[in-house]
Amino acid sequence: MTQELENKFAGELEKNQGIIHKVCRTYTNNDAAHKDLFQEITIQLWKAYPKFRGDSKFSTWMYRVAFNTAISLYRKSKRNIETTQIYDNLKELEYQDYDDSKDNQLKLLYKAIHSLNDIEKALALLYLEDKSYKEIAITLGISEVNARVKMNRTKTKLKNILNP
Amino acid sequence: MDHLEKLKGVWQDQNDSAIKFTKSDIFGMIQKKSSSVVKWILIVSIIEFILPNLLLLFTDNTASKKLYETYGLNGIMLNYTILYVIIIIGFIYYFYKNYKNISADNSVKELLHSIILTRKTVKYYINTNLTLAAIIGLHVFYKVFNSKVFMDKLPENTNMLTVWATAITVFAIVLFLFWCVYKIVYGFFLRKLNRNYKELLKNE
Repeated sequence: MTQELENKFAGELEKNQGIIHKVCRTYTNNDAAHKDLFQEITIQLWKAYPKFRGDSKFSTWMYRVAFNTAISLYRKSKRNIETTQIYDNLKELEYQDYDDSKDNQLKLLYKAIHSLNDIEKALALLYLEDKSYKEIAITLGISEVNARVKMNRTKTKLKNILNP
Repeated sequence: MDHLEKLKGVWQDQNDSAIKFTKSDIFGMIQKKSSSVVKWILIVSIIEFILPNLLLLFTDNTASKKLYETYGLNGIMLNYTILYVIIIIGFIYYFYKNYKNISADNSVKELLHSIILTRKTVKYYINTNLTLAAIIGLHVFYKVFNSKVFMDKLPENTNMLTVWATAITVFAIVLFLFWCVYKIVYGFFLRKLNRNYKELLKNE
C-alpha cells in the first residue's frame, strides 16, 4: 500500500516538478540551496500527501506546501550561504542589460524578485502564474481585498526595480 | 501593454529548470528526514521543558533538605512543588496541542500562526517558571530572615536592609541571566517568522 502511494506520489511530483523549481529559484540564489529547498518541499509534500483529497487541484496544493516550506519551515544551512551564486551573476548582467533575449529578461526578472521580501516573492510568483485573487487569498490565508492591496504594492515595487 | 504583463509571457514560457529530478531521485528524497524549523522548535522546546527539572534532579539536595528542616520550610515547599507539577502538566498539554496543529498544507498565515503560538507557549512557560521562582525565593528569604536560628547567627547590629538587598540582587541577577539565554534562543527561531507574519497581516 505504502509502495503504491509512494509510486503515485513520485509520478505526480515528477510531472509537476516545474512548480517547485520556480518556487526554489524564487527563494534561493544558488544551486545547492535550490536542491536543498526542493528536497525539504518534497518531504513536506510527502508528509501531507495522505491528507490530500483532491478537493483542490494538485498544483494549487503543491503551491501552498511549497510556499509554506520556503517562507516558514526552511532554515538555510550554513553550507548554502557559503556557496557562490550562480543565478545572479550581477557583473555579467550589467553588461547585458540591453540584451532583449527572453533568457536575459527572465534572469533580470528573477534578480528583481530576489530583492523582494518573502511575502512579496510569493505574490510576485502567483501574479506571474496568472492566479486569481481568490486563489491567492486562499493560498496565503488573507482576505481578497488585502491580497489586491498587497499585489498592487508588489507590482509597483517590482516595476520600480525593473525600470528605475 | 504593461511591462509586467509582457514579462508574464516570458515567465510562463520559461524552459524547464536546469535542475531536474527523476522519479527515483524523488523516491530517495522522501526517505530522508526533514530538517525543518518545526523539528528544531520541538527539540529545543522539549529541552526547555525538561532542563529545569533535570537540574533539580541531579543537584545534591541534602543541603537544601537540611535548610528546609532547620527553617521549617517543608510545608510550603511541598505546596509549591505540587503547584509546579500542575503548571508543567498544563503547559505540556497546550504545547502538544499547538504542535499537532502545525501542518504544511494550511494557508501560509495559519501555518505561521500555529508555529508562533507553539513557541509562545514555551515563552509563557519560561516566564511562569521565572515568576514562580521569584515568588518562592522571596517567600523563603522572608521565612529565613525572620527565623530565630538565622537571627542568632547574624553578627550584632547587622542592618536587615543590607541583608535583604544583597539577597535580592544576587537572586535577580541569576533570574535575569536565565531570561537572557532564553530570549536569545527564542529570537533565533522566531525573528524571520514574526517578520513574515506581520507583513502578511498588514492591512487586514
